[in-house]
Amino acid sequence: MKKLLALASVLLFSAALAFPDIALSQTDPGVRPGPINGQPDATQGSPLPLASVASDSPAGILDFYDNGLGRFQEEEVVSGGANNGLGPRFNFNSCSGCHAQPAVGGSSPANNPQFQTITQGIASGSTNTLPPFVTPHGPALVARFPFFTNSSGAPNRNAPNGGVEAFFTVSGRADAGSCNLHQPDFHHALQTNNIIFRIPTPTFGAGLVEYIDDSTLIANQQAQAANNFGIGGAFNRNGNDGTIARFGWKAQNKSLLLFAGEAYNVEMGITNELFAQERPLPEEEQDDGLPANCLNLAGRGYPEDATNFKVAASSDQSAQNAQVPADIVLFAEFMRLLAPPVPSTRTPGGPQSISNGFAVFKAIGCGTCHTPAIRSTQASNITPSLGNAIVRAFSDFEIHHMGSGLADNVSQGGAGGDQFRSAPLWGLGQRIFFLHDGRATNLVAAITAHRSNGSEATQVEENFASLSKGQQQDVLNFLRSL
Amino acid sequence: MSSRVSGLRLFLAPFVLLGGSALGAAASGPVPGNVILVKGAWSGTAGLPSPLPEDGAVSNGKYDNAYFGLEYAFGADWTQRYEGPPPSESGYYVLAQIEQQRPAQAFGQSHMLIAAQDLFFSLIPAHNAIELIRYYQDHLGPEYRVQRAPRTVRLANRDFVRFDYISPAAGLQWHVLATEIRCHVVLFTFTGSDAGTARRLIDSINAMPRPPGSTPLCVKDYVSSETVTERENPVLTEARFNPVPVRIVIDSEGKVKHIHFLSAFPDQVRSIADAVSKWRFKPLVIDGQPTEVETGLTFGRPPRPSAAGLH
Repeated sequence: MKKLLALASVLLFSAALAFPDIALSQTDPGVRPGPINGQPDATQGSPLPLASVASDSPAGILDFYDNGLGRFQEEEVVSGGANNGLGPRFNFNSCSGCHAQPAVGGSSPANNPQFQTITQGIASGSTNTLPPFVTPHGPALVARFPFFTNSSGAPNRNAPNGGVEAFFTVSGRADAGSCNLHQPDFHHALQTNNIIFRIPTPTFGAGLVEYIDDSTLIANQQAQAANNFGIGGAFNRNGNDGTIARFGWKAQNKSLLLFAGEAYNVEMGITNELFAQERPLPEEEQDDGLPANCLNLAGRGYPEDATNFKVAASSDQSAQNAQVPADIVLFAEFMRLLAPPVPSTRTPGGPQSISNGFAVFKAIGCGTCHTPAIRSTQASNITPSLGNAIVRAFSDFEIHHMGSGLADNVSQGGAGGDQFRSAPLWGLGQRIFFLHDGRATNLVAAITAHRSNGSEATQVEENFASLSKGQQQDVLNFLRSL
Repeated sequence: MSSRVSGLRLFLAPFVLLGGSALGAAASGPVPGNVILVKGAWSGTAGLPSPLPEDGAVSNGKYDNAYFGLEYAFGADWTQRYEGPPPSESGYYVLAQIEQQRPAQAFGQSHMLIAAQDLFFSLIPAHNAIELIRYYQDHLGPEYRVQRAPRTVRLANRDFVRFDYISPAAGLQWHVLATEIRCHVVLFTFTGSDAGTARRLIDSINAMPRPPGSTPLCVKDYVSSETVTERENPVLTEARFNPVPVRIVIDSEGKVKHIHFLSAFPDQVRSIADAVSKWRFKPLVIDGQPTEVETGLTFGRPPRPSAAGLH
């Protein structure tokens, strides 16, 4: 047996010499090991804030960050607990359950917390069933039905929907009174191909993104217009004031506060100072709305999350101050003050491969949409690290047509059914799931998915495909170094 | 994906709108995989359908485009596997994406992009092909090396601007040929590692026949208080703040003969087409002859030129 193994080794080595392209077949190095977010002091439960926040500049800001981090991890109940307001419909009971990889504030973890929702009693098993696409190893998902249905139950393509269909109801929980709701019919939606998914977007460095002036983004768009890759691009503008929106898979949210307020209401069913009404499903909204016995379940009136006008006195004034804002304000503050990931200069593949990969990444056109650096943020009235900073997010924050292969038929603001924001690539090295619906766990598959009919990225993907295997490996190593 | 679906016709007298999304597709049964709600291109016409920039097609080793009058034969060993995206709101078109036919994508595979930039709506401050290509050169990153600076060459009895550059890191070379047609710059970009293949494709451009027939005179910013005699403003109900670039053809009597929306949502198309189809212009007279005019205008929010781009 040993002789056979030795012979096989010799043959494989000979083949590697004769056919280097075959031997060096490109592979995704996988989730980069080492420090979380490239920061030696970070832990999964305690990601690092921006440098000036860590040094508490201005004085007291660190308390707001810490308080926000704590609230981001709180588990909500319907009523009678410390954190009330969950439901009547929800996808999960905490922010950090889904925003968890590689640390709190990130994207979907490997072990999907939604899979435990019934077994852990967050939703009652007597009134809820686990949707078939919620699997133990993820990703954590949000579902939307692109179209309303007609009277026969078929998707009506003249009636776009696109709203979130929350997985679970509070019905059957001991703290939910007599509220009795049914889950959306996910099986029917699957049968009629009328369902799409999204995964959580990571929020590290989000404050830097929030404070890029529109003029800076427009200048970058104009410079990138000179490309020979078939790439156009547009901004998704906020419907209220017409400025550039930049958060979410379709850049549909203008600010972190809006992002937090919408998610609190849509994903957890918690009304707040931005979204003060309980949210029915889109089809319930068109009908009679939520039944009266499912309203005000926390028993405190609306909004369920509000400014804390009265807080306990403390000898620590800044800690006391940080208790005052509503949850959504501190969620936004936490995300705003999170430090961006720090790329590795040597893992995986070594410094030369990463450097080569970065050069090729730019040369073949990836950097046209995934702009490596945008200079610079506005002067900051919050903390020094947010001001005049280079944003190495690898995104132009534009929306691009991504073709029939990735289109989800959901239009949000100025983004059509096939348009998506260039996903920021910082932190990519430690992400598990890729693309808006998490369909890929392998970078090669994610890159390949960029080409399809109607995609702006087809030429770039074909440039990638025309590289040697060694060059492709350099690009993959570079991406996993981020 | 096609950004136009021939089955959709919304009648708005006297115009017929030709579809720009799949909204009008049959509404029963599962949603087919190719049904996509796009913010895309639409057109409307008061008479016979007019060709559109994005209407070209690749077949039998040839690219034909009636709008631009192109007949480009590159050979049967080249094909298009994927159609391009809808036109952008800044007037950029991917007309065709052609690659060498191989069993699978492979190392060293060459491909060609045929694109067009509408000079009415361009984000790039350029009035012609040479200015556009010089802007490209000025914005090349340090990862590229220029092999041939932009200069005018004569191919197929028309002027082209040629620009060549390479990426040493990627081992790829780009050969760009740009020519002006109907106030657009049409760009042929060859990408690959084989100079011989690029040379053969450039030679095949030289064999293109001259475009037949006449086209309307294209005039930038023709719509003004001096030329418009009757005007009704469209009512845009959704505050999306996206620019809606529109090309119109005004006939020799001053009526709007044809409307082409480069990028718009269906509701925007309906209200703008309804209004613009009623506009009337003073006929443009050249050498004593009333003349058809093609021009562009933007509804919604016009793109804001950045200070950095105005050098």
